[in-house]
Amino acid sequence: MIRFIFGRRNYYPSSGEIMASMEDPYVLIDKWLRAKEFIVVGKGVARADALEKALGKAKYVEDYFQSGFLFIKQVLSTEPHAKIKGINVEEALRKPKVVKVITASDIPGENQVGYALPDQPLLAEGKVRFHGEVVALVVAEDIDAALEASEFVRINYEPLPHILDPLEALQRKDVLVHEEVGSNIAFRTRIRKGNVEEGFSKADVIVENEYRTHHQDHLYLEPEGALAIPGLDGRLTVITAAQYPHLAQSIIARVLGVPASDIKVIVPYMGGGFGGKDDEGPLTAAKAALAAYLTGQPSFILYTREESMRSHPKREATIIKYKSGASRDGKLTAIDVTIVHDTGAYANRGPFILWRATVHASGPYHIPHAKVDGYCVYTNKVYQGSFRGFGNPSVQFAAEAQMDELARKLGIDPVEFRLRNMLRPGLTTITNQLLDHSAGIADAVEQLAKVSGWYSKRREYGVSTGRFRRGIGIGVAWHGISTSRGVPDWSNAYIKIDKDGSVTAFTGIVEMGQGSPTSSHRQIVAEVLGAPIEKIKVTFGTSDAPDGGATHASRGTSIGAIGVLVAAAKIRERLNKLASELLNCSPDEVVIKEGKVYVRGDIERTITWEELIKHAYSRGVDLSATGYFFLPKGKFDDTVGQGQAYPAFSYVAMIAEVEVDTETGKVRVLKVWPALAAGRIINPQQVEGQIEGAAVQGMGYVLMEQLVFDDKGRLLNPDLTDYVVPTALDVPEIAKPVYVEDLFKYGPFGAKGVGEMALIPAPAAIANAVSHALGVRITKLPITPEAVYFEVKKHGLIK
Amino acid sequence: MFYRIPKFNYYRASTLDEALDLVSSLNDFKVLAGGTDLVIDLKVRRYTVKNVVDISRIKELDYIADDGDRVRIGALTKLQSIADSPIIREKVPVLADAVREMASWQIRNIATIGGNLCNASPAADTAPPLYVLNATLRLVSKEGEREVPIAEFFLGPRKTALRSKELLKEIVIPHEPGCGASFLKLGRRNSFTLSVVAVATLVKVVENKFADVRIALNSVAPTPVRARKAEEYLKGKEVSLDNITEAAKLVLHDISPISDVRASAEYRKDMSVVLTRDSLIKSLERIGIKV
Ligand SMILES: Cc1cc2nc3c(=O)[nH]c(=O)nc-3n(C[C@H](O)[C@H](O)[C@H](O)COP(=O)(O)OP(=O)(O)OC[C@H]3O[C@@H](n4cnc5c(N)ncnc54)[C@H](O)[C@@H]3O)c2cc1C
Repeated sequence: MIRFIFGRRNYYPSSGEIMASMEDPYVLIDKWLRAKEFIVVGKGVARADALEKALGKAKYVEDYFQSGFLFIKQVLSTEPHAKIKGINVEEALRKPKVVKVITASDIPGENQVGYALPDQPLLAEGKVRFHGEVVALVVAEDIDAALEASEFVRINYEPLPHILDPLEALQRKDVLVHEEVGSNIAFRTRIRKGNVEEGFSKADVIVENEYRTHHQDHLYLEPEGALAIPGLDGRLTVITAAQYPHLAQSIIARVLGVPASDIKVIVPYMGGGFGGKDDEGPLTAAKAALAAYLTGQPSFILYTREESMRSHPKREATIIKYKSGASRDGKLTAIDVTIVHDTGAYANRGPFILWRATVHASGPYHIPHAKVDGYCVYTNKVYQGSFRGFGNPSVQFAAEAQMDELARKLGIDPVEFRLRNMLRPGLTTITNQLLDHSAGIADAVEQLAKVSGWYSKRREYGVSTGRFRRGIGIGVAWHGISTSRGVPDWSNAYIKIDKDGSVTAFTGIVEMGQGSPTSSHRQIVAEVLGAPIEKIKVTFGTSDAPDGGATHASRGTSIGAIGVLVAAAKIRERLNKLASELLNCSPDEVVIKEGKVYVRGDIERTITWEELIKHAYSRGVDLSATGYFFLPKGKFDDTVGQGQAYPAFSYVAMIAEVEVDTETGKVRVLKVWPALAAGRIINPQQVEGQIEGAAVQGMGYVLMEQLVFDDKGRLLNPDLTDYVVPTALDVPEIAKPVYVEDLFKYGPFGAKGVGEMALIPAPAAIANAVSHALGVRITKLPITPEAVYFEVKKHGLIK
Repeated sequence: MFYRIPKFNYYRASTLDEALDLVSSLNDFKVLAGGTDLVIDLKVRRYTVKNVVDISRIKELDYIADDGDRVRIGALTKLQSIADSPIIREKVPVLADAVREMASWQIRNIATIGGNLCNASPAADTAPPLYVLNATLRLVSKEGEREVPIAEFFLGPRKTALRSKELLKEIVIPHEPGCGASFLKLGRRNSFTLSVVAVATLVKVVENKFADVRIALNSVAPTPVRARKAEEYLKGKEVSLDNITEAAKLVLHDISPISDVRASAEYRKDMSVVLTRDSLIKSLERIGIKV
């Protein structure tokens, strides 16, 4: 189902020129948004890299390594918190084939790589703040030599008291992870809407709980790696696995103290990112670049799985205190939420993650009175970072548990209760943002309840007293599109058409398995130009493309693809004009489809795509264009957390059916039903892939994945023996998704983005299903068999 | 954390005699079968040795033989061959059950049964079924051969009754028709997982009474263990759910689990009881008895 509910355009550039307005991005985005018939958009077009990948021919960073390149081995801290009294590299340097040992003092530019706050060195300086922090890089002629020498870098530590518990860190002033901050609070957020006292006074039921969620490792198949080659293409070229080539470029430039134009970054195929390589990718690249810069030789770094797990940022661990109230008629009256994020040793993107959690704390519901306080707290553990959902899965888990508990107290079915409060166009969010369009979640949830058989199962299950108990649960979530608040966001790309009619689009968006550049970007360009899809090549992940932002925040096919849409649309306008002259018709009558150019309703007057391009070259039509678009943003007041938080929201829901073995605590997820209100589905095949992958990753997070730290903050399971992720045999049946295509006015063809979505409600849906099966509220993740078993035992659910 | 294998001398034997010659002439050595345990242990430096003797190509130790009243398995038989063997499936299906749940297809195609036993991990999954089958291990050295009952082979974590110049040659499993046996493993996911607890049980029933009962568990003591108390309790008793449930609780007398990243000791204890009961029920089902 497709809906067109558009508000007034709130911004219109005054271009003045008549010609320019034809290529005005607002006009072009709007024009293609209103398209009614499609050639390739909305179809399950096979991705360009399918065969290459199936045959094992696709190349990843490591495949570009050649013998003779230098190898870099990292030396990681063995202390959670200590002063570095000295680093003795002499012994390591005397080992055979060792070329260099790099420490903080060797960095020619700035040793500062914090994304949100300037609190993080590339290589530890002065002190170490977690067990696993990178202190030195050993550069040697081969991997064996580097590995051997790395053991002989002697670091003289003076241990400092360390702090691991975020609640303790919040209180204490005597042990500080960052002395200069004066406390262990890295960042705070706040929302004040209405008056919560008044809201709670109107409540007939109140639910108050404390929730805890845990870290998660991305565990991408391909660990972090980078290869830096001095002088290639006239610059220092770095081939790396990073989710934003331009960010890697600027971090490298900063660390080396050279202009960004001296650095080129290429991101080849990537073996998974999930946000982890948004944070760690540029740092990996900077380490390789540093070695290449200082030695003048091609240098290669590849993390072992253990190094990766010990040092790269993790999904945030949280403590969420949540109080909510509702009236007898099933309307939410107020929420009061305190969110504590254990950010570990560095803030990294923690402040942004906390903002996202804060703004989404209500769940996708209308609540008149809201108070939310967020704390991003330093501890001496591996730091938190971006991970599919970005602060949202944890807070939606808490919000959705609250919804179930309120519904239970009110005696209303949980879906029915949600529907009574659900955000719809015309309602405001907890930041008082008016939703003017693109909010199709209520419809999606209604459909989902039907296809899953919700109402009967919800009554039937949850009453058994036998060993195996079934439950069904729902999680509904929302996820703001683009960066939060007024943080600038834009898109761009460059497209050119060669004389033979082949088309190349250059984008900084990367291919990390999700397929944005190799599927949806191609479809968008083919649709807009009308050129045959085989003629479209997308060159992705290159800093030589105009900066169009990162491949994160589910933006690869939404904001990230506006650039290719606008660039293609500009060229299409010119081609329409040219064709109208050639075919003697008006530009709006020109049809370009399947390699043919003709007048609508008159197939007789036809030329081929190739002929049209030849004419363009001979008549002086520019067949190259960039597609810059700066996303308009509203006002947001950080001090009270009120205003426009995001240009629009994607919505997602999941219903999960589980069976709990009360004697072992094992939870089997039998089936999940996903629903998505994420605007236009450009490629259903790709979207299904994203939903399935996210559902499984979410299930793994809830049921089995956990990092175990010892009392020094050392990770005890940094390996695949004891960090357990789902296998094919753990995967539940995943139903065909329900789609509500609630178009977003600035999305390409109305697309809002999908990548993170299905993971966000998974913890809530599964935990709610388990709570339903047992009749016991689950407030803490993960729900391992052991955890469930002891809940069962504690509540005397079995003899 | 170190991932470079320190240098060692590499020797490869192509016959058992050659291997025995090699090990008797070397001192500081380890033998390499499939290497799925050893290579990792060398990397993390659980062992540092001067010499490695590769025995993986000794064809004469790769077999599954059916002698009628017993089944013999060569030490270098791959786990996947055991899972696929019609002899094993017919005569000692409980071993096939255990092996099928081990590791992954790729690992099972290089890992050997001898390696699983000689590695002597408390979590070795072939141990519980071999314990309840009363298997004996035939050990060989230049001095000759000897037989050791499996329960006497495991001395502690990574410690076995093997003498320094001795190799495991084969596993001998008596065939006892009319017994029902089963294996249950609790891991942290549905496949490709090390056991938190695994249990094998074997029962023989005469006139609705337990004529014989054997129970073995892994991951709950320094070595795989027999649960003798529980076995004794059931012998001679009537087959009933109550008796089984009572007996299962007695496994606690023979186990001493620890807490680690995989599970707490308390969970392992409780699960030992649950799995023992479930396995006994399943073993009875195998001989057509429902309780
Ligand atoms: C990914 C993965 C998953 C695994 N999953 C499981 C699992 O589910 N369950 C489980 O129990 N194990 C599992 N293992 C452990 C391992 O695969 C098994 O223990 C395997 O059977 C070992 O056999 P191998 O031939 O590889 O032994 P090797 O590694 O070659 O040897 C192991 C030890 O035994 C010694 N040895 C080997 N053969 C002999 C012999 N004939 N005589 C004397 N000494 C000998 C070696 O010197 C060494 O000390 C797993 C391992 C991996 C890597």
